[in-house]
Amino acid sequence: MLFQLLRTPLCGSPAVFSGCVRSLRCTPCRTLLHKPPPQSRGLKTRSKKTRSQEEEWRSRNRTLLTYIAAAGVGMIGLSYAAVPLYRLYCQATGLGGTAVAGHDADQVETMEPVKDRILKITFNADTHASMQWNFRPQQSEIYVVPGETALAFYRAKNPTNKPIIGISTYNVVPYDAGQYFNKIQCFCFEEQRLNPHEEVDMPVFFYIDPEFDEDPRMARVDTITLSYTFFEAKEGQKLPLPGYSYS
Amino acid sequence: MSTAMNFGSKSFKPRAPDKGSFPLDHFGECKIFKETFMKCLRDNSFDNAKCRLQSKDYLECRMENQLMAKEPMEKLGFKDLMEPPPSQADGDTKP
Repeated sequence: MLFQLLRTPLCGSPAVFSGCVRSLRCTPCRTLLHKPPPQSRGLKTRSKKTRSQEEEWRSRNRTLLTYIAAAGVGMIGLSYAAVPLYRLYCQATGLGGTAVAGHDADQVETMEPVKDRILKITFNADTHASMQWNFRPQQSEIYVVPGETALAFYRAKNPTNKPIIGISTYNVVPYDAGQYFNKIQCFCFEEQRLNPHEEVDMPVFFYIDPEFDEDPRMARVDTITLSYTFFEAKEGQKLPLPGYSYS
Repeated sequence: MSTAMNFGSKSFKPRAPDKGSFPLDHFGECKIFKETFMKCLRDNSFDNAKCRLQSKDYLECRMENQLMAKEPMEKLGFKDLMEPPPSQADGDTKP
């Protein structure tokens, strides 16, 4: 009804009614002039408005969906990338006992011994309770420097009347020094068979990484203990090599 | 093997040796070299630096008796004990 009143001044009909309306509602009348007269279109205008609104919603939905899809793909990609990234992080921080980068076989050839840092390596030998070998180190300790290869011996004897197959693993304490302890060759992780009443020498050829001297965490470490434990292995059992090889 | 049962803390992860495992010396072919090495260690209060020549001899014995893969001694960290050969050094240094 209000719009009807306003419309009459547009047509220019000289009714008092309309003049009254004109004076009262001049500005809104002018503003309404610019707007498409809503009354006459009726349904069509409303649907046009809703149509444009619908289009706007649709385009907004589309962008939203695109963003969500991109985020989903990004998450999947991140989960795939996390594997090498985590490995890099572990290598950098030495977390989980992973080898610190720079540990490769060619280093043995070129490394220089750090002559002023003497370390005492003590040896320990254990057997599992059911393992009947006599297993012991042949030296209680050895003094080495980082960067120098060293040889050490253990001795194992089978006192029983039947052949026994043993398999061993090792441990290094203190834990942080273990990452600098590199074994070139040893007798661990492979089945070793001892015939009845046989006694053998088992060598361990190792070196301490020269970077040990530069690590501030190792500044007060003077003794490293290498501990081997022998277990009895069943015939034909194949154990996988431990650790994840990065080299 | 680490016996600590606290999950979440770092546990020791043993690494495989670089060059694998020594075959056992069942026949004691290199026992003499080992005895020499152990005697040297005992005489020098277990100082490894003084007995490197004996350890090199032991490893060479192993290589000769098929108990170890043959490798030039420089690769095992004994380059300071090798006398530099007159003209062969150039060919031997890099594998």
